[in-house]
Amino acid sequence: MKPAAFEYVRAASLAEALAALDHDDAKVIAGGQSLVPMMNFRLAQPARLVDINAIPDLNRIEDAGTHVVIGALVRHAQAMCSDLLAARFPVVAEAMAHVAHLAIRNRGSIGGSLAHADPSAEWPLVVALLDGEIVVAGPDGERTAAAEDFFVAPLVTDLAEDEIVVAVRLPVPPAGCGMAFDEMSRRAGDFAIVSAGALVRVEDGVFAQVRLALGGVGDGPVRARAFEDALVGKPATPQAIAGCLDFAVEDLEPESDLHASAEYRLHLVGVLSGRVLERALARASGSAS
Amino acid sequence: MTERAFPSASGLAETRPKYVGKPVQRLEDPRLLTGAGRYAADIRLDRMVHAAFARSDQAHARIVSIDTDAARELPGVIGVFMAQDFPDLPAIIAPSRMRDYRATACAPLARDKVRYVGEPLAVVVATDRYIAEDALALIAVEWEPLDVAADPETALAGDAPLLHEELGTNLLFERVFETGEPDAAMRDAPLRVSGRFRMHRKSPLAMEPRCYVAEPDRARDALTLYGSTQVPGIIRDALTGLLGLPGSRIRVVAPDVGGGFGGKGSLYPEEIMVCVLARRLGRPVKWTSDRLEDLTSTSQGFDEIIDAELGFDTDGNLLALTGTVVGDVGAYSIYPWTAALEPVQVVSFLPGPYRIPHYRGAVRGVATPKPPTGPYRGVGRPAAVFVIERLIDMAAAKLGIDPADMRRANLVRAGEFPHRIGSGLVWDRSGFIECLDAACETVGYNELRTTQAEARAAGRWFGIGIASYAELTGIGSRISVAPGMPINTGTETASVRIDSTGAVTAVFAVASHGQSLETTLAQIVAEELGVRPQDVRIVHGDSAATSHGTGTYASRSAVLGGGAAILTARTLRDKVKRVASHLLEAGVEDIETGDGHVFVRGTDHGVSFAELAHAVYSDMKALPADKREILEAMETFDPVTGTTASATHIAAVEIDPGTLSVRIHRYVVAEDCGRLINPLVVDGQVHGGVAQGIGAALLEELRFDEAGQLLTASLADYTVPSAVEVPSMEVTHVETELPGNPGGFRGMGEGGAIGAPAAIANAISDALAPLGIEVSELPVTPERLFRLVQAVLGKGGRT
Repeated sequence: MKPAAFEYVRAASLAEALAALDHDDAKVIAGGQSLVPMMNFRLAQPARLVDINAIPDLNRIEDAGTHVVIGALVRHAQAMCSDLLAARFPVVAEAMAHVAHLAIRNRGSIGGSLAHADPSAEWPLVVALLDGEIVVAGPDGERTAAAEDFFVAPLVTDLAEDEIVVAVRLPVPPAGCGMAFDEMSRRAGDFAIVSAGALVRVEDGVFAQVRLALGGVGDGPVRARAFEDALVGKPATPQAIAGCLDFAVEDLEPESDLHASAEYRLHLVGVLSGRVLERALARASGSAS
Repeated sequence: MTERAFPSASGLAETRPKYVGKPVQRLEDPRLLTGAGRYAADIRLDRMVHAAFARSDQAHARIVSIDTDAARELPGVIGVFMAQDFPDLPAIIAPSRMRDYRATACAPLARDKVRYVGEPLAVVVATDRYIAEDALALIAVEWEPLDVAADPETALAGDAPLLHEELGTNLLFERVFETGEPDAAMRDAPLRVSGRFRMHRKSPLAMEPRCYVAEPDRARDALTLYGSTQVPGIIRDALTGLLGLPGSRIRVVAPDVGGGFGGKGSLYPEEIMVCVLARRLGRPVKWTSDRLEDLTSTSQGFDEIIDAELGFDTDGNLLALTGTVVGDVGAYSIYPWTAALEPVQVVSFLPGPYRIPHYRGAVRGVATPKPPTGPYRGVGRPAAVFVIERLIDMAAAKLGIDPADMRRANLVRAGEFPHRIGSGLVWDRSGFIECLDAACETVGYNELRTTQAEARAAGRWFGIGIASYAELTGIGSRISVAPGMPINTGTETASVRIDSTGAVTAVFAVASHGQSLETTLAQIVAEELGVRPQDVRIVHGDSAATSHGTGTYASRSAVLGGGAAILTARTLRDKVKRVASHLLEAGVEDIETGDGHVFVRGTDHGVSFAELAHAVYSDMKALPADKREILEAMETFDPVTGTTASATHIAAVEIDPGTLSVRIHRYVVAEDCGRLINPLVVDGQVHGGVAQGIGAALLEELRFDEAGQLLTASLADYTVPSAVEVPSMEVTHVETELPGNPGGFRGMGEGGAIGAPAAIANAISDALAPLGIEVSELPVTPERLFRLVQAVLGKGGRT
């Protein structure tokens, strides 16, 4: 289990990194928590690794007023402990607790998780739930992509070979929103069989805003739009949530794999969606109860 | 609850410190915890080269050609070798005295065909492992695929493709144990329960993967093999035959070994090949398994289909038991244990610790195109205990009797030992009922049932599971560890010496791979001889240090090694006393030893061990020539049959009705391993065994597709319990006296893994009893639970 030979470039700036990426089979490495195992299995055999860890300013979490910008080199553990994120998006820390184990959370980066695009991973789901944008740098400058455009298929994104994920921008939701995250995995720290994140806002005893994002059931994180539309305007009660749950599963076509059948995944979508929505409702201020 | 029934080992009311039974801190820990240990992978020798194996990606195929030209031309590659390069190297054959046993021939490198994915085909030797793996990618193999019967029952069908054509069948052996008239008794039984049970294949998965370093000695035409093995003695003996060298020119050393669990207890092709290559190349050769190789080429465990039925009367008395076992052996019969080890143990132990007058257990072992199975912690008993304990619970439910009462009524009682069970095994006295009672007391059984009733009333799925079992440990020379296996595993010889400085060295043929033998054997020697444990250097795991020995497996080392340590230390103590009697001018019967000193009892008149050694070895005026003793002793211990160890496990679990995840709420073990040598070590062994049993119950399964490809080939997919999945355990000890055994020790290294799968299966079944669900397949993954629950509740289920 030794990787094939590769060339290693440690970039001191984003410009250097982008220049180094202009090479056949070049691959960006940050925390290496997904890439290095794949290289050791020789499933990935990049000719060149471009190490972006030395690039300044990519490891910051910044308050930009209407949104928060999280640099691509921010580690999962750093996000989990961020006061700013805890204040604006408490669901982030709740989700980060499910990311693998301490050692991996200390090394693994947000940009790496997004670029790797495992459909069960927590970051893609969080970005989809929070209507975030992924900021990508390329030879022609920066662009942004919404989660639904960025995640194309399992382990496939719309990132070009000469582009680097540099940040994620999360718009701050209106005050009073309740959020929650939960997942089912074989063991603590394993990839989720199914994960679910919810965000709700209540006005005058009815659901004014509803978001439900699901992981492990599609090509990438899935927003349950039909469910969201169905629940908005309904009384802010657990009964109303339960009454709409069929909408959460209706368009899903999850795959069966070693750990879970499609049927069990669909069952979990109902269970976990109901739980995160009820919890988010309980956390929303001004809820009916 | 601790019952202490032991007089001091010597029978004397002595004042010297006692070490046996005390929580002595592990003597190996300072080394292992500070990174000062030395594992096989740490060994780097001058001019050492590295091997990597090209392995089959086919489960069953004929080799048309292997093209190694490109690999040979890669800079840094020293050679690429195939079977034809070693025409004189014999195949590995595990012989057996069992009637109609069909031995398989396993060539260290596949010759004409391959029989499992992962079988070694060729080996690259290069200046480093990276280059060796680069070269592997350049080897091209042309195959003629053959039909695959991956399922053992399919492999038994008349038209199944044959794995070993020369045998004419895939059936490697069959055996039947019968006592009484099981058919008539079952027919006449007023009540019966039955089921088809499945225990899936597991990997031993030691933290340290296998690693071998062979160092040739051209001057002596000799060879040293450093290997992560549990059985250096067995490997040495086997290599003498394979390499054609006498035992004096082959030395097998097991340095620090990071876990074995049975997976390092057999002879492996890679182990042979590094030796052969080292001799061919005249250079040290190293091979370290990576995790993928560990999952595909280290021996695997369990894998049985068991149809069983239990007959009983309306009072709950057990009348008859029948079991039919199909064991999926894999491609080859493993050396030295044979294909029979695991499956036969299932029927040997199926009657458990119960009085069941009529029994028949029938077993067939089937060759399938999968990696070979071998010993795995518990060997056969985890499956046997799973089945009989499920049947006992099913019977109790049918009668409306509490499962604890059902067991109490049928366990062999104190006055009934020795008791012969239907397979012919004999239980000597062991605390079967005492363990059940102690476990119930520790867990607060009646209160726990009340808690359960309240949880059920609130709609929660809460269950309590009991598993009682007995096992034969410390097996002596009259019984073969594996049926029909023609090597002696029933004796252990220790030698203890005091050198010219007064230091004590004790030499054993056992080989610790995590069992704390350096501590426990030192405790025993220290107590018997009269020194401190830290003063005793334990030498083990080195075939050159002893004339005969096998290693550590089958819960034998504390029983056999400990027994030999006692006998040997006593002989040496007698020599010390005779010398001291002369030096101190006192009668031998008045001499006492302790804390590194020898003295006249009740006085401060004495000498240190160092002074006594000086008198014997160096100061030639101190003793007349005829009083000089050789301060060495060597004794052999043979427990003849073996000792019975037993335990009861109680698990309380709660199942999330929505996600179907299982949480272990309580876990209690009451075990009887006789006299404890070190309670810290016993608890540690129980904890580790239960953790592996939790893996078997809930998580771990090697899954193969119909083509024989391993689907769970990484630790992301082969899921072992982590610290989060292992609950705190409450362990209590029952120390039943064991007359006729020098230490009173019983083996307990495997027990935790034996009880846990059954206890958890029973707890889950109990939690789901309101739905009428019985667990009959392990591991009970969330997916399996989902299917069981869906079958009852239908689509939607509970949230």
